[in-house]
Amino acid sequence: MLSGIYQHIANYPGVTVDKKSGRFSYKALDIEMVDLPGTYSFSSYSLEERVAKEFILNERPDIIINVVDASNLKRNLYLTFQLLEIGIPVIVVLNMMDVAKRRGIDINTQEIQKMLKCPVIETSGAKAEGKNELLETIYALSNELKYHEFKLNYDILEPYIEHLQKKITVQNENLSQRWLSIKTLEEDETILSRLSFLTPNIKEIAQQSKEAFENTYNKDTTSFFASTRYESADIICHKCVKENKKNHLTVTDIADKYILNRWLALPILFLIIFAIYQLSIVLGYKITDYTWPILAAFKNLVIDILPQANFTEVPLITDFGVWMVNSANALLNYIPIFLILFALIAILEDVGYMPRMAFILDRVFKKFGLHGQSTLPLVLGGAFVGGCAVPGIMSTKGIPDDRARLATILSVPYMNCLAKVPFYTLLLGAFFSANMALMMFFISTVTIFIALIVAKLLTSSVLKNRETAPFVMELPPYHLPTFKGVVIRAFERVWLYIKKVVTIVLAVAVILFALLQFPGLSSEKQQYFEQESNAILQDFDKKMKDNSYYSLIDSKEKVASLLNYYDEYRSKRMLTSSKEGAQKVDDAFTARNQEFFLFIKPKTNKDARIINKELRNLSSQRNKILREIKNEKIENSLLGMMGRSMEPLTLYAGFDWKINVAFLSSFAARESAVATLGSIYENNKADNQRAEEAMALNSGYTPLHAVAMIIFMVLTPPCIATMIVVKIQTNSYKWMLFAIFFPITLGIVAAISIFQLGTTHALNGIEAMTLFYAAVVLLTLIVGLFPSKRINWTGGIEPKTNGLYSKYIQSQKKEKK
Amino acid sequence: MGLDDIQSGYIAKIVKINATGKLLHKLLDMGFVKGTHIEVIREAPLYDPMELKIHNYYISLRKSEAKLIEVAQL
Repeated sequence: MLSGIYQHIANYPGVTVDKKSGRFSYKALDIEMVDLPGTYSFSSYSLEERVAKEFILNERPDIIINVVDASNLKRNLYLTFQLLEIGIPVIVVLNMMDVAKRRGIDINTQEIQKMLKCPVIETSGAKAEGKNELLETIYALSNELKYHEFKLNYDILEPYIEHLQKKITVQNENLSQRWLSIKTLEEDETILSRLSFLTPNIKEIAQQSKEAFENTYNKDTTSFFASTRYESADIICHKCVKENKKNHLTVTDIADKYILNRWLALPILFLIIFAIYQLSIVLGYKITDYTWPILAAFKNLVIDILPQANFTEVPLITDFGVWMVNSANALLNYIPIFLILFALIAILEDVGYMPRMAFILDRVFKKFGLHGQSTLPLVLGGAFVGGCAVPGIMSTKGIPDDRARLATILSVPYMNCLAKVPFYTLLLGAFFSANMALMMFFISTVTIFIALIVAKLLTSSVLKNRETAPFVMELPPYHLPTFKGVVIRAFERVWLYIKKVVTIVLAVAVILFALLQFPGLSSEKQQYFEQESNAILQDFDKKMKDNSYYSLIDSKEKVASLLNYYDEYRSKRMLTSSKEGAQKVDDAFTARNQEFFLFIKPKTNKDARIINKELRNLSSQRNKILREIKNEKIENSLLGMMGRSMEPLTLYAGFDWKINVAFLSSFAARESAVATLGSIYENNKADNQRAEEAMALNSGYTPLHAVAMIIFMVLTPPCIATMIVVKIQTNSYKWMLFAIFFPITLGIVAAISIFQLGTTHALNGIEAMTLFYAAVVLLTLIVGLFPSKRINWTGGIEPKTNGLYSKYIQSQKKEKK
Repeated sequence: MGLDDIQSGYIAKIVKINATGKLLHKLLDMGFVKGTHIEVIREAPLYDPMELKIHNYYISLRKSEAKLIEVAQL
């Protein structure tokens, strides 16, 4: 609002974990403003607090602006007191005054200002009121930084604070020494480790003072600090705040009567999730029908620029260019979906429904080591027919419990990816055309169970010692979202997706291209394909000899350029459906080459019609050779070799090397699995035979093979895009690698078990799938009913459970005994 | 008696907090200090967690954690 940078305040604690900054000037004063993550306090140990605290310690801001929710003054003043103690001038901004007034809360700002001895300004963020006053105050403060230390009297604790203050050696710290000693008494890890440079035994000293106080007064230090601050906040509230409508029900109260009602909550939640799914995934998918031509036009543009093929000799650069454009397009195609999805999430965040969603479902997720807030990531990942793990994982950011957050990140990729759907449809169409609906039901629901099992498995093994956070979550009042806020955030997140995901995926696409291209064809094969294509050309030539247009097509180069012209026309024509569009394409091609155009639309010209017919024939023959070359290349490529080398193992699951290659290439983007499988099983008459039929007839697979493939695909590793997001969100390559190899292992084990069971017991496809489904559901029930520990957090002050400090405390405790 | 034993619609006063470490810090930060009044608003549809009103705002707490807050019903 103030600094010109866009500062979003979501109605969902923990949304902004990063800090954002902006620079501006006011009356020749240069101001840099940094927006720190919102926090409730300065003494507990959430990520937001650590970020904020470390910023203040390291960067030493000149002024702290404490934005306070005026409609909830008391709890906010608790933080204000902690900020005042730091020793940096504080400006208190009473935000949302409009909301407070509406609720009949009268605040005497002047009185607060007098009591806190710091400037207090009223604003209402949504209406940008109070901006100038705040700027003027900053300006005034910077000119006369005469700051008097703020002291909150801690009564019986005072002697202990003073004692510690004397023991602390500080260098160039312009922070209040008193504050530092209070923080050491509160056992603040950030401060303790900072002070231990100059005062090595600070932890011991602080511990001694703390224990001395606790033994003398039989009071807990931490609670004592908190009570004193709350009492002080209470005093201010008593004197400066008048609540006129204290017992009136607010809109939030009334809304929650229905939204959180025991009987209505779950149906409403389901409706909301269903609406999100319909609007983003289903509607978004429809929108891609309209945006796809744009991407296809981009592809055509690139093809236009790249050197053209000389009959069956396609330049490497052209191959590469097309591959890269295809890879980029596959991801860019999802942008409409993401845009809608992110906008809807932003609305949910702003409205304040997210914490309520967590409230409703926490009990279910808790059983599997997850958190109420895991709902949305799992839904986005594809709780229904399909979703996408990328936005799913991106939305895990707000989960405060580190263990649950990691478990969510690692289980979201098991949800049903939208891009897997074509693959399933291909296999189901080929092998289960009679039971398609049942199989689809199995596939789309089994993923939820698998994600839950995986989450439970991980949280009780590898993630067992991760930091967890208690489920203490505010349910904020409902707010109306602003259009601008929602749109800006949706675009911001889409941009993040493009920037981070697409760029890295393209880099990996280069590697995959190399893996698929090299070492390339053997010289015998090359010769063989050359002969093949020459034979076709000669055949064409023979038929054309008597044609009156022979002079136009009497060399290989001429034929090749005509063929390119023909193919190009067809692909451009395919993109336009309107009459005018078609006319435009016709005109453009006529202008380019009038004679060639005659062969494309021969009308009544007899000779031209013959050429047209033969041209079509030639084109399909050429495509057949190109496809053969491609398959041969894949078979010989490094990726093909990898596929072959895995065959001894994968054959137990019924996968031959071709399937392995399809799975390997699907890593880049799921769509390519279908493309690869499709192209491997397409035969030369593919024009009138759909890929499903071709596969059913030509592959030699049984439905049982298909089930094994489906099971592997259900469990299979996430695509590269997802891996990148896992890396970003966990900030660790280790977890990224884990997220790749764990599912592969799980997938191959499950596929082999079912395939072997199916083979030995002569099960058909449906039976095998039912068996798998039943096993998964049973496992979920067992795992879910497995008793979970009542207290599910560990550690405390120390972020690392095996730190020296905790050992020290333990040894102290032992001594005491 | 633990906070988890209070029925919806009733108000209780905090007597003692038996939590330690991180949970204690978090509870204190959210305003769960001795003597504070808490109104139990409702339970979640699946009976856990529970929604509370404290210092004029709403908060949700799992019952396992509410159990650690000793209260006296008013």
